[in-house]
Amino acid sequence: MPLLAGTVTFARFQAELPKTASTDTRRWLSRALKQGAFQPLDPAAGAEDRSAGFVELEDHDSTTFAAGAGLEGEYALFGWRVDQIKIPAPQLKAELGRWLAKFEQEHGRKATRGEKAHAKDAIRGMLRQRTPPTSKVHDVSLSWKTGAVQVWAASRGVVDEISEAIESAFEASLSPRNLAGLAGAAGLEGKSLAPTGALLGVELSGAEVDRGEA
Amino acid sequence: MARREAREEAAFLRGDVGVDGQATDREERDEAEVERGKAREQLIRNRAWLGREFLTWLLWRSEAGEPLVELEGTGVTVLFISKLLLRGVQGDVVEVAARGAQAPYSAQVKHALDEGLLVHQARLRFSHGERAYEATLDAEFLDVRSAKLPELLTEEEDDRLQERLHLVEQLSAVVDALAGDFLEVRAGRGWAKKTVPALKAWMRG
Repeated sequence: MPLLAGTVTFARFQAELPKTASTDTRRWLSRALKQGAFQPLDPAAGAEDRSAGFVELEDHDSTTFAAGAGLEGEYALFGWRVDQIKIPAPQLKAELGRWLAKFEQEHGRKATRGEKAHAKDAIRGMLRQRTPPTSKVHDVSLSWKTGAVQVWAASRGVVDEISEAIESAFEASLSPRNLAGLAGAAGLEGKSLAPTGALLGVELSGAEVDRGEA
Repeated sequence: MARREAREEAAFLRGDVGVDGQATDREERDEAEVERGKAREQLIRNRAWLGREFLTWLLWRSEAGEPLVELEGTGVTVLFISKLLLRGVQGDVVEVAARGAQAPYSAQVKHALDEGLLVHQARLRFSHGERAYEATLDAEFLDVRSAKLPELLTEEEDDRLQERLHLVEQLSAVVDALAGDFLEVRAGRGWAKKTVPALKAWMRG
């Protein structure tokens, strides 16, 4: 748990939280986490290869979220668990190779493209049931007092996924605490913050800047 | 026969072959041009230029070793250490990585900055009172990476967690205070007239 030890890597956001975050913190937190709770993958049932959602920080298998769980002073602490089934490509290739050889032996001809695709799907389905999912948990800390959010993940894709999940489940609006976000929060917008040509060595047109930001 | 004709017509319509049925010379964009195009996209995305200008300004301001801002009544000093990544959008070089204990303040780095390559990522040491933090910051997101926090003082696990969270918030506050100071200067009238010329003069040694 990076929250407890070692070097730390985190993305920073500022959240605008609903009133209930401070008036009824326990229930608000519990309800939001339950709404975005992690659902385990069922290899036998569906075709989903990936599942992600909130888990308790202390127990990554728990999604009970009893009122008050995960609250440490002014911080709400929880995890974002991502389970994924990844079938190793060499394994799939080897199984398919065996199937093709057997098919040719039995039928005296090579399998058609359609037969091959059908067999590949069947083999993938069979391997999928045998392959255990890999699991990763990323910590999240959220101050219900100040709205500061830290997503303890290095991958930008995961950070974006978690921030979207928080916005949806917590009825919050998140803005990154980067220069653009801080400028927006300070009410600094417009031409005064346009790129400085003298430093960049090139003047960028307003249209290009607007296009890039859109 | 009809299928062959249809294929040939489709190839002609795609521009793969000319009226004589011969392959056309594909217009390939110059590799350097493509690279510069990507560099410009990176610069504009999420207004990363603001982050680059901030880190470059911070490098300049930090060289004197004086406190740059006050946080909770205590000065914050900044030192760029060991690693620095510079990025630009024009010329033949779009990225330069500098390593070495003295690299961030070296003449080579200043020369590269003067050529339009600005600081995109850097390893920094922040001193706030008796506390010292180290972290890598990037221009686009201002994310904190591989940060070393000060030694914890408490021993109880719950207290240690609270203390670490507090230190993380303090580190964030330090970054925000420096960024806030920069934005004030950046949005002010003196930016173009005074600050940028002074920065350029520093780059030129």
